Amino acid sequence: MPSRYLFHYAQVHNEFRLPELQSIAELYGIPYTLPQNPEDRDSTRPFMIVELDEEEHARMLARRCILIKAVYEYYGHGSTYDELHEVNRKNESLWARYVQDTSFRFLVTSSKHKIPQSRQREVIENFAYMGFLGKIDMKSPEIILTCFEEYEERHGTTRVKHEGDGEFRQVFFGRLIEEGSARQLVGKFDVKKRSYYGNTSMEAEISLLMANQTLASPGKLIYDPFMGTGSMAYPTGYFGALVFGSDIDGRQMRGKQKTPGVIRAATQYGIASRIVDLATFDVTHNPWRCGELFDSIVTDPPYGVRAGAKRLGRKRELSERQKELCLQHSLAPRPDDQPYIPPTKPYELSHLATDLVLLARYLLKPGGRLVFFLPTVTDEYEEVDIHTMMCEGMELVANSLQDFGSWGRRLVTIRKVTKERYPPPTFDPMLREANEETHIPAHKDFREKYFQGFKSKADETKG
Amino acid sequence: MVRLITHNLLACHAKDCNTNNFPLEFKDVQLEIREADFNPDFLKGFMPKIEWKALVDTARQLGDTSLPLEQPEMLDDEFLKNLHHVLLEIHVEEGSMTCPNCKHVYPISNGIPNMLLAEHEIG
Repeated sequence: MPSRYLFHYAQVHNEFRLPELQSIAELYGIPYTLPQNPEDRDSTRPFMIVELDEEEHARMLARRCILIKAVYEYYGHGSTYDELHEVNRKNESLWARYVQDTSFRFLVTSSKHKIPQSRQREVIENFAYMGFLGKIDMKSPEIILTCFEEYEERHGTTRVKHEGDGEFRQVFFGRLIEEGSARQLVGKFDVKKRSYYGNTSMEAEISLLMANQTLASPGKLIYDPFMGTGSMAYPTGYFGALVFGSDIDGRQMRGKQKTPGVIRAATQYGIASRIVDLATFDVTHNPWRCGELFDSIVTDPPYGVRAGAKRLGRKRELSERQKELCLQHSLAPRPDDQPYIPPTKPYELSHLATDLVLLARYLLKPGGRLVFFLPTVTDEYEEVDIHTMMCEGMELVANSLQDFGSWGRRLVTIRKVTKERYPPPTFDPMLREANEETHIPAHKDFREKYFQGFKSKADETKG
Repeated sequence: MVRLITHNLLACHAKDCNTNNFPLEFKDVQLEIREADFNPDFLKGFMPKIEWKALVDTARQLGDTSLPLEQPEMLDDEFLKNLHHVLLEIHVEEGSMTCPNCKHVYPISNGIPNMLLAEHEIG
């Protein structure tokens, strides 16, 4: 018999909330039901009532979902206290077992507002009909009952202290089951406290959300083809997965000391043994012997602002004589102990995105997930942009925007739904041009657009 | 790093090097042994992906003779522990890997192999 639970959410990265819940529920095989009414599952609101089969499921979600602050057994809610009390009285069977001799603490709190002490007391007194006989214990009570008032966002407006008190949108009431312990990981993985990072390192909270999208857990094998300083490897490794990393430029993974930087940071988190290996290669010329190797691929591809994506090759064709000289150079012994560094050319973002999906279809096991960030221009983005990079056998699971104003990046989660084996991708843009999509996605030539300040086409003609 | 699990998954990928390009041959190696989490389910799930002969030959070349020449039918605990050790606990820190076919040398430094191809080796 499913029961209702009250989820208290951090009001950040709203578009990531439901995909994260879906992913972690899938990881643990937890059935759940969201509220029917869209307004009640609005991700900008701090509370959501979710139906689950067992209290233990609520605990499991609170221990793994980064965005959950706490979960409560639901006793009642309403637009007024009268409504709330009516529901709470009907739910007496849920809390009757705590009436006799359970020590408790009663909290009255709110989001985006501070309730004056005097009214907090008044609210508590109005719950007197519950008739709790146990000891009131502020330090270590057996249960904590919490009453939340939800206020509208009033950030940026000037108001006097306690102004609008009592004018809440809704009020919720329940018993605390578990504080969201996964949220503390945001501090643990703080980039500034990391022993090795770079200017392209991903912030901790987002990298944890990405790790949850990969369904990382013990026994899984996960690959990052644009490893860089390894931001996504640490949380995925922390959740128990084994991680492979590769990058066309080994310096990002190595850092300046003998022990590679990625290994030093992984050691700090106690997961060095889960970084299976790091290798320097261009993912468009990769040495993987076969496909269907990985449970997930997670990556933040370089999109040209801090660092541009590169692939082996040259921008311009060389003459035969130049080619001959280059060949001699690459074969000749090095005068010092520096390695031979082959030439590279830019890797255009929309090509990279399309190739990444094809590569994932080859390298993922059936059911595996590809999780990556796609930067895009806010004004030009259309939903069909995502579909220009999809291919047969791959299905979109989630697409969550992190908004930076004129641009944003979308965390895209794609599942391999096919069991069929596909050949490795050719990574040849020439072959693709032949059947080039007629739709040009907003993320094409993102770098150029970024540095031009995202001027729209209309502006250009005016200017 | 460069554990044998990785070695078993990497083939030479130079242009037109498509046959006899696996396994790459270790040379002048410096080894280190480091403990890793033992996960029998992972090992069982990964076994179908292993090129068994390449793994056993390479392990023997590096001085570990714990694995049988034929992949066994019965996966007992002792076998899985040996497989775990060979796949995940032997690290090649320095040295190189050479393609048996085209002789391309992939150097390994501080545990990271350089698998980049030269300009004339890409298609």
